[in-house]
Amino acid sequence: MQDDLELIKRLQNQDNTALSLIYDKYAAALYGVILRICKNEAKAQDVLQETFIKIWQKSNSYDPKKGKFFTWSYRIAKNLALNSMRSPSKLIQNEDLSVYKNESTEEPTIDLLQLNGSLKQLEPHHQKALELVYFNGLTHREAHKEMDVPLGTFKSYIKQALKKLRAAYQKELFILWIIIETMI
Amino acid sequence: MMDRNSIKDTGILEQYLLGELSKEQQLEVENILKEDTELREYFNKIESDFQNMAFENAITPPPHIKNVILDTVQSQSVTKSISLQAKKQSTIYLAVAASFAILFMISSGWLYTQWQQSKNEIQLVQNETSNLKDRIVALEQNLNETNKWYQAINNPNTLQLVLKGNQASPASSAITYVNHKEKTVLLNPQGLAILDNEHTYQMWADVEGEMIDMGVISTGKEMIAMKYIDHAESINITIEPSGGNDHPTVERLIANVLL
Repeated sequence: MQDDLELIKRLQNQDNTALSLIYDKYAAALYGVILRICKNEAKAQDVLQETFIKIWQKSNSYDPKKGKFFTWSYRIAKNLALNSMRSPSKLIQNEDLSVYKNESTEEPTIDLLQLNGSLKQLEPHHQKALELVYFNGLTHREAHKEMDVPLGTFKSYIKQALKKLRAAYQKELFILWIIIETMI
Repeated sequence: MMDRNSIKDTGILEQYLLGELSKEQQLEVENILKEDTELREYFNKIESDFQNMAFENAITPPPHIKNVILDTVQSQSVTKSISLQAKKQSTIYLAVAASFAILFMISSGWLYTQWQQSKNEIQLVQNETSNLKDRIVALEQNLNETNKWYQAINNPNTLQLVLKGNQASPASSAITYVNHKEKTVLLNPQGLAILDNEHTYQMWADVEGEMIDMGVISTGKEMIAMKYIDHAESINITIEPSGGNDHPTVERLIANVLL
């Protein structure tokens, strides 16, 4: 998907309609990440709200030269989701006192959390590696322990996984394009 | 700095993308990406991969979330603009107050200098006035005196007599005005030769062979009043020791005139 620089510029100028369009474009993808970290819909919805309000407030700190707008938004969403998990009051609120790291090993409570798309075509350890760092918000250091492999091995998992994903995407690019276009 | 391939191998770009790096490491990666276009392209690919994965695993949030966000943002921007306006207004008031303060400061400074200047001017005027007063007094005195002399001289009863210097002081001359009716004698001594400090001119009246003192002539004046002596037959001027003499030094008679 192409970054719409014009749209982002409007967002940076505090244009409400730009935020609305950005929401339409990115909310579902970000919500997918947030919900997989929070594993609780009410909490994930709060985090999604926080994320877009932060995107709105901090839009001027986004620099297109440093990367894609989605990458920047993803980092905000991930940090807010992780913070919400660390906040003890929220943990109690959700009657879930377990540490989020352990949750990732449990069966997801919501069917929606099942990973989709090209990711499913990957070998399980590649799939798991990407899931841990991208959808569960673990750091490389946390994730390699989680998978019980050395850090170097884990890094190569990520690299290979991405490479395979890319190959899969290229095949599906045409279909994907249509899906995204219909989403917009 | 690491070379391109080892950067790819360390997985630091992935960690950077995922936001796992410290601030310093982030800056380092950003600088590397800025300089190395090939690495930059590689990073773009990773970004696309992750983004595609995210979109493939998107979950549509409940529709009301969007409204909540837009409402929050709306109310935030409203309060922001209100507070901004209030702030603006208060800064305007502040600016107005400050400019008034500056204005007062400048004007009072100006008034103070004006006041000082006026004070000085008044002082000058006062000095000038007292000078003028003194001069007027002096002039009045002068005028009165001159008037007095003039009245005296211009009297039809006044005789004008010229005392010419004899061989003892040939350059000297004096004019005397005698009024027998009013019994006054005036003398203009300006024509008399200047004497040293030890001597002075003295005037005498000859009454039946006896010289009677008419007064010491103080030089440097335009006109002096002398004593009028009844029945004087002649007026004489002699040079005497300063302070005057009881009897005339006849050898030093310089001028005489018969009445």
